[in-house]
Amino acid sequence: MTLPAKPIAARLLLAFLTSLAALPVSAQQPLPRTVIFLDPAHGGSDPGARLSDNLPEKTVTLSFAARLRAVLSSSGFSVITTRDSDPSAAFTTDQRAEIANHSHPTACLILHATAGGNGIHIITSDLAPPDDNYADTRHAIPWDTAQSASIPQSVALANTLGLALLHARLPVLLTRASLRPLDNFTCPAIAIEIAPLTPDDGDTTPVSDANYQQQIAQAIATGLTTWRRNLGAPVGVTR
Amino acid sequence: MIPRYQRILFWSLFAGIFLMSAFLLRGCQQAHKRLAALNDATPIAAPTATSTEDVTLYLANDTDASITPTTESLALPQAPTLRARTLLDHLLSAYSLPTSKHPLQSGLAVDDVFLLGEPTNGPDKPSTSSIPVSSPQARQLAIVNLRGSFVDNHPSGIQVEALTLQSIIGTLHAALPEVTSIRFLVDGQPHDTLAGHADLLRTYPAVDTTVHPAPPTETPQL
Repeated sequence: MTLPAKPIAARLLLAFLTSLAALPVSAQQPLPRTVIFLDPAHGGSDPGARLSDNLPEKTVTLSFAARLRAVLSSSGFSVITTRDSDPSAAFTTDQRAEIANHSHPTACLILHATAGGNGIHIITSDLAPPDDNYADTRHAIPWDTAQSASIPQSVALANTLGLALLHARLPVLLTRASLRPLDNFTCPAIAIEIAPLTPDDGDTTPVSDANYQQQIAQAIATGLTTWRRNLGAPVGVTR
Repeated sequence: MIPRYQRILFWSLFAGIFLMSAFLLRGCQQAHKRLAALNDATPIAAPTATSTEDVTLYLANDTDASITPTTESLALPQAPTLRARTLLDHLLSAYSLPTSKHPLQSGLAVDDVFLLGEPTNGPDKPSTSSIPVSSPQARQLAIVNLRGSFVDNHPSGIQVEALTLQSIIGTLHAALPEVTSIRFLVDGQPHDTLAGHADLLRTYPAVDTTVHPAPPTETPQL
């Protein structure tokens, strides 16, 4: 009995070609890393809120971003920021979202400050979570609702950071809002709005207080470490 | 001796002067009344002619970032656009009271509210709201035209701005169920943000915006 030589040879050739084709695909996988994207909001001609007579929001977000970046770097995170100074022409919100979406970070944090309220407000996008009926059929991601697919991860990230801040004895509010560039991010994303610390019995701590900012930065770093651990191994993009 | 025809002419002229004086005086009085009426700020349609009704205001609270529905009795016009505008003016003026938990500056806030028929969404357009729209019938788009003075004086911050928008959206949704989506203009023009943060360029779904934020939990709710 003679074996059919041609079909066997064809199958071997197909298997060989398939294994060759798989090599570049595995080589394109993102390298394991934990990248945090920081966006100190406002800047340049956009001062943001006026926190006091001569203190614009853009100054506080920048100083807090520098503090947070240092703490995160010492905790083993790679950090990308949209600005580390106050340029005359700051990035637009769309440009900030483009930078974040191209760098595929593990988490995106937008930093804001306000003169009202108490403690830290953690905001997630109020877009609807993805609908399973549409998840497989839509190939393009609408820019205005790009965050929609990451809402579950963003809510979990907000909860993790909220717990870390509570453990640091800082008051936290978890809310949702529609905000640019938060709605345009494809990564798990939250906005952190720092408000003055106004305890029932005691003096108000302004948002510009260095110790207050350091406490928040340490708590966020702790929360992100927990977040990274809960994800399993350090990962790149979460889609 | 004055001739008779001259005397008749004199008295005729005298009578003419008297009549013209009376005519001018009457004209001045009418012009005065007309100008006084223009300066009168009394509403053309007196609200006292309308019976009061229960309306639901969605009131914001900055302390806990909550939106709570509250029922009040108000006299509102029947025309939907006037009704929406009056309701929003009443809502936002409540925030300028000293006891407000979401303090805003006093003054008129809403210039106009327009209601437009909205085409029914096809099956390929997913909702962008976290809460699904319940009524697909008689869909209307409400365009709220805010005054520039209101926007300029609004406190700046993500939470405080979001609460104002959620308060407006929830109140409109309760009063006008046919409204399914809401857009905002400022002085008739598209505007990026309310006061530097909350997005005013997107179309918001008209939904119940009642919210009481929960604290972080050990078991995250996805």
